[in-house]
Amino acid sequence: MSLPTVRAIGLAVLVLAALALPLGVTLPYFQHLVILALIWVVLSQGQNLIQGFTGYVSIAQAGFMGIGAYSSTLLSVKLGWPVWLAMAAAPGVTAALAVLAGYPSLRVKGHYFAIVTLAYNMVIFIVLMTWSSLTGGEAGISNVPRPPDIAIGGLVWDLDSRVGYYYLALASAALATLLCALILHSRVGRVLVAIRQNEALIEAAGVQSWRYKLLAFVVSAGLAGLAGALYAHFIGFLNPDAFGVDHSLNAILAVILGGSGTLSGPVVGAFAVVFLPEYLRVAENYRLVIYGFILVTATIFMPRGLVPLVASGLRALAARLRREPG
Amino acid sequence: MNKLARSIAAVSAALACLGAAAADKELLIGVNDSLTGPGAVYGLPQANAVQMAADEINAAGGIKAGGDVYKLRVIANDDKANPTEATNSVRKLIDRDGVKYLLGFCCSGPTSAVASFIERENALMLVGNAAERAITAKGTPNLFRTRPPADFTGAAAGAFVGKRGAKNIAVIGSLDVGFYTQYLEAFEREFAKAGGKIVAKETFGLKDRDMTPQLTKVRALNPDALLVLGYVEPSAFVYRQATELGMTIPRYGFTSGSEEQFLRVATSEQMEGVWDLRPTELTVEALADNAKTYVANYTKRFGTPPSPSSPYAYDQVYVLKQAVERAGSAEDPKKVTAEVRKVTVPKEAVMKYLPVGGTMFDVNGQAYTSNGAFQWQKGKWVYVSDLPSDPALYSEFLRGLRK
Amino acid sequence: MIIEILQQMLNGLAIGSVYTVIALGLTVVFGILGIAHFAHGSVAMSGGYLTFLFGERLAIGFFPAMALAMLVGAVIGLLIERLAYRPVRDAPHINAFIIALGLTMMVEGINLLAFGADQVVIQTPYRGVFNVGGVAVAELRLLVILTACTLIGVVALLISRTKTGKSIRAVAQNRPAAVLMGINVNRVSAIVFSVSSALGAAAGALVGALLAIAPGVGEGLAVKGFAVLILGGLGSIPGAIVGGLVLGVSESLAAGFISSAYKDVIAFMVMIVVLLFRPEGLLGKR
Repeated sequence: MSLPTVRAIGLAVLVLAALALPLGVTLPYFQHLVILALIWVVLSQGQNLIQGFTGYVSIAQAGFMGIGAYSSTLLSVKLGWPVWLAMAAAPGVTAALAVLAGYPSLRVKGHYFAIVTLAYNMVIFIVLMTWSSLTGGEAGISNVPRPPDIAIGGLVWDLDSRVGYYYLALASAALATLLCALILHSRVGRVLVAIRQNEALIEAAGVQSWRYKLLAFVVSAGLAGLAGALYAHFIGFLNPDAFGVDHSLNAILAVILGGSGTLSGPVVGAFAVVFLPEYLRVAENYRLVIYGFILVTATIFMPRGLVPLVASGLRALAARLRREPG
Repeated sequence: MNKLARSIAAVSAALACLGAAAADKELLIGVNDSLTGPGAVYGLPQANAVQMAADEINAAGGIKAGGDVYKLRVIANDDKANPTEATNSVRKLIDRDGVKYLLGFCCSGPTSAVASFIERENALMLVGNAAERAITAKGTPNLFRTRPPADFTGAAAGAFVGKRGAKNIAVIGSLDVGFYTQYLEAFEREFAKAGGKIVAKETFGLKDRDMTPQLTKVRALNPDALLVLGYVEPSAFVYRQATELGMTIPRYGFTSGSEEQFLRVATSEQMEGVWDLRPTELTVEALADNAKTYVANYTKRFGTPPSPSSPYAYDQVYVLKQAVERAGSAEDPKKVTAEVRKVTVPKEAVMKYLPVGGTMFDVNGQAYTSNGAFQWQKGKWVYVSDLPSDPALYSEFLRGLRK
Repeated sequence: MIIEILQQMLNGLAIGSVYTVIALGLTVVFGILGIAHFAHGSVAMSGGYLTFLFGERLAIGFFPAMALAMLVGAVIGLLIERLAYRPVRDAPHINAFIIALGLTMMVEGINLLAFGADQVVIQTPYRGVFNVGGVAVAELRLLVILTACTLIGVVALLISRTKTGKSIRAVAQNRPAAVLMGINVNRVSAIVFSVSSALGAAAGALVGALLAIAPGVGEGLAVKGFAVLILGGLGSIPGAIVGGLVLGVSESLAAGFISSAYKDVIAFMVMIVVLLFRPEGLLGKR
């Protein structure tokens, strides 16, 4: 069997498994976690776009997620917009803000850029916490509504139920991955990767790198905004705690762990970041140390991440199997 | 041993265990509290208090209801004063651990988050220290609270400060937090009746530590007194920094913090003369023998004195006990909830409750304690006087808030 | 009104001098080794916790405890340099930054394990308050400012007057040339990190005495430290001094006269604005 065929079969199996998941996983608690993980896939794909592809580490992803979450919530709860419309508007609002934020900050590189994005996240967090007449501050906003049911033919897609919302999250995660795949395989994607590898060279070749960087930044923020909207309407209660700097660090961890610059890496990373704390609850106190240790050693020893490591391991294994006759 | 013998041994052992288990049933209590973070000053003592009460009940033979004996087992979860954590934790308690009785709840943010969905769950929720009025104003049928809402105390405090002669008062507090604003509104109303005015309203965050800018601003206005509305730790910093800025005016607060919690931040000299206008919680002079026993037992067990508001959680366990006994079983939370409505103040309760309409909880699921004025004198909180308040009137007002 | 302004400024000077000490620790590492050592804030917290512990357990005063914590801090700096940053010294800069983030999590996690999640306030016997023409001068705040000045002075002398300082300056100006001249870059790197972390530990002790040490405080200090660096110019010691004091005082004035709620935002806005219009900082030369 050729490699592309194996890949296609693998993908088909994955799709079938994803569609059938609610039949196997029935405990509400695990369904809850899977939905959160899928929302994080959207977030991590965005992070991967700016960090993995373009090589600019942004520490603002959780902040943008917050912008998306509050936009959608305020539009639907305070202004009475239909939930679907509010959720669709959230990535747009976030992207617009990202243009404003990115325009000046993408003028600087490396450390400076990372620190500025960190400052952005802190500003967003403080504003969300302090402007309580708008956001409810720490006490937050309750009763964030679920989208209304969709009836197609005789079937009803009930978004009040966990299973119904699972399919929404799944669709969004798939869309986010698809979007990043399209970007990666386009000319834009090639420029981004070139920027990561040697920005000076590509500028010397006459490419206006800041436009491409801005695009990556804005799309990445838009995806964060979408993740935020999905999150807010899922949990039903919104408060700024989920959008602090530590969550941006988790997004960075997810990308590094899963595999920078790959498409499946962020998926693996997102699930790892959501599920690990639940399994490490017993070692809750050690979690930060473990995460930090993983980040440090991964950067030193396997800077390309888990997925490429596993992939190359599998390839080596396949090569060895082919050489040894049954 | 051969295979047959081993199987017989295994089956016998299993049967023996089954037989032993049939005598005692287990009543799971899920405690959701802030065990770490800024709310830990309130949450950790509550969680400890619940554990202590459960152990006391088990040692005395458990809860006897309808022919069964229930031994209590407590699962305590840390919500880190964070609404999202609290939601996840309660989700896990209900779905994974099968808990039907949720106690604790020290802090309004996380508690409000859980209160917003608890009506849909097959469970009973008993709220402790969380002071946000909306928690019981909604009239959720399976939610009860042992601690009175903040504005119930605020009104009494305003009248008290007015009577002491202050005419201009500066307020510094976490005024973005709902229940502090509620306390302040009620305070302002009563204070105005006594001819007083609020000359400044400065804010600080629940986790802030440096309030010198706000205090400097307030000092320039020359108020007669200072009203501080925040959690224990930030309030302690305010009291300390007020002395560092040379301010000598009376300082009034609403913290329910213990001596030990304050002394971690400020010295006793810096605290001298500070008032705490709050529900008449755990101060031995103000309460009966139960209080003395509670303090002694808690201190012996945990190595540190209990916080003034921890009995709100202790009493929850005895409320649950009485309700289960009346219902005859702990299996159906709906039946137990119906009994909680009719519960009288348990004889083991530490706080002094003022029953409304003959039962401990009013139609809103709210219990009321009396309010008191406490002052820091030479390293200890001393009970100075009662703050008169009317629970029946307030109960009607609370009922009227339901839309 | 004047008294109020003076009081706010004095309040700000105390915390501003702590910012300066933090920034100094950051600027030596960044200016000389090119590393944005984000974990510095968490190392500062370790220093604060240690000062508290030494003071309680060994029954020594605040300053001896702080000195001891600084020693431990220096060792921590050595370890960090050797184990975490040296392996990626020649890799893309981004790797060093990600390691800095990972280190931050690790040190925060270790602090949590070793010292718990409760806030720690270092009580000192310096509780006097002097009244100078209506302005209240707290003895503690005065001591914090003096300590910061002393530390800064010592480090400045170290770099400008000693032979080691000369090697450090050489590496900062031109590393390849320094190597050719026979300067041991590994040694310089180790020394710079020790000094930086010792300063960080001191800053932590001062913060613990002035306010408190707690999880999350370190992160905020690190970001403010970088704000000072950007304000004063990366790699510039006079810039760190001026920047720290300016930041502390403007925070205090803004909190007092505009809004205390958005006090922290001011630091960040200042940083963002400076980065955009004068990336070399107010006093920087690069």
